[in-house]
Amino acid sequence: MKVTVRTRTSSHEIDCAPRERILYAALRAGVGVPHECATGSCGTCKARARPGTVEDVWPRAPGHAYLKRERGEFLMCQGVALGDCEILVPSRLDAGSATAPGPRHVAGTLSAIRALTHDVDAFSLELDRRFTFTAGQFVVLAAPGIAGYRAYSMVNEAAETSRLDFVIKRKAGGGFSDWLGADRAGSTLDVFGPLGKATWLPEERKDLLCIAGGSGIAGMMSILTHALSSGHFERHRGDVFFGVRTRNDMFLADELARLVEAAEGRLSVTVAYSEEPVMDRDPRIPRCIDVSHGFVHLVAGERMAGAGGDPTAFVAGPPPMVDGALRMLVMEARLPASDIRYDKFT
Amino acid sequence: MTWKRVCSAGDVEPGRLAAFVVDGITVIVANLGDNGFSVFPPSCPHMEEPLDQSGMCAGFILTCSKHLHQWDMRTGEPAGPAENDRELLRYESRVEDGDLLASIDGELVYEYEDDEDDDFEW
Repeated sequence: MKVTVRTRTSSHEIDCAPRERILYAALRAGVGVPHECATGSCGTCKARARPGTVEDVWPRAPGHAYLKRERGEFLMCQGVALGDCEILVPSRLDAGSATAPGPRHVAGTLSAIRALTHDVDAFSLELDRRFTFTAGQFVVLAAPGIAGYRAYSMVNEAAETSRLDFVIKRKAGGGFSDWLGADRAGSTLDVFGPLGKATWLPEERKDLLCIAGGSGIAGMMSILTHALSSGHFERHRGDVFFGVRTRNDMFLADELARLVEAAEGRLSVTVAYSEEPVMDRDPRIPRCIDVSHGFVHLVAGERMAGAGGDPTAFVAGPPPMVDGALRMLVMEARLPASDIRYDKFT
Repeated sequence: MTWKRVCSAGDVEPGRLAAFVVDGITVIVANLGDNGFSVFPPSCPHMEEPLDQSGMCAGFILTCSKHLHQWDMRTGEPAGPAENDRELLRYESRVEDGDLLASIDGELVYEYEDDEDDDFEW
């Protein structure tokens, strides 16, 4: 199907596969329509369509709060063209990057699922072709028979790879995480990406500050791995604050400890338990990782207060934690907005 | 020009912002400390985010937590790298006998990008 994407200053004809989200079709065609979460929450990808030309595949998406339905507004990430049609995109297009690879669909075969905690799993996908992404990016995944796409940041880092590693927090009633919970190895998923601007490149000669809640640590692992392999910690510091509820919710402790040791004193990792005081030392947590009590953004704020420096800050996790961290970074640490990169996962 | 009482100058601490309703019109009051007060409409100029929840003050810079777009609350000018070219609309304000007054003749509203251009239609 041909969809004509009109902006104030340009017009682009894109091909949509049957049932393909218009956002994904536009992005893979190199048309940089505005978007963020790509999964129905943020409202950034709103556009307008004539009545009856675009089907809304998730009418209850949270992002609908940003729409004026009477004007024909819809979310491109939840919109499927019913035939050749025309849509109006009110915001400016992203110029995009000439060097960064654009997102596309690839098939991913689920290869390994293992429990990290009582409600966090690690899983991997083997892709049917090579894939390039920047540390900190995410993909959206659709499983057979499960409605909708979910966003997951890659944990691993590689210039080019055919394997993507993820962590997922199981949620009661979470369609995808319930589906994954059963024995699904060998299933093929639709993978669309890479997406996301909360990225890091070794050319950035600044300290790193990472504030993560729960599975928000995923993209940070990719960034820290890349920083280590590119020699970034020979000249710059990294400080990681990782919030989980209790000691039994901690995961990736050994992986984080390996990064701390390899960075030879230039990387600190502090785990903050939000719902449990720090009692005796938990033997499951390597000694090179600090342990603290409190909300992770408050712990980070206390530790960073008066530390000076002008780091690039990365924030990812549940929306209340992300908002708290952004407030701390903007209002207390007074970091410029250009040095703060974040993802809100819902 | 109609000057209306918005709140007591002491109702909003320095570095804070809060929403008030004046004759049915909701406004945000930000206390800029040494730079006085700024009074502006309650929605982010970018994507209508409610600023009483999403607005953050750092000195005289307003940052919306939705996309980190920023404005100088003294002038309404965009500030920082993430701004669009849209200004923050403001009501003129002054402090008199401990009260914050604002010149509110009618509600200031943004013409959001999707509404403003008659040519951008079918």
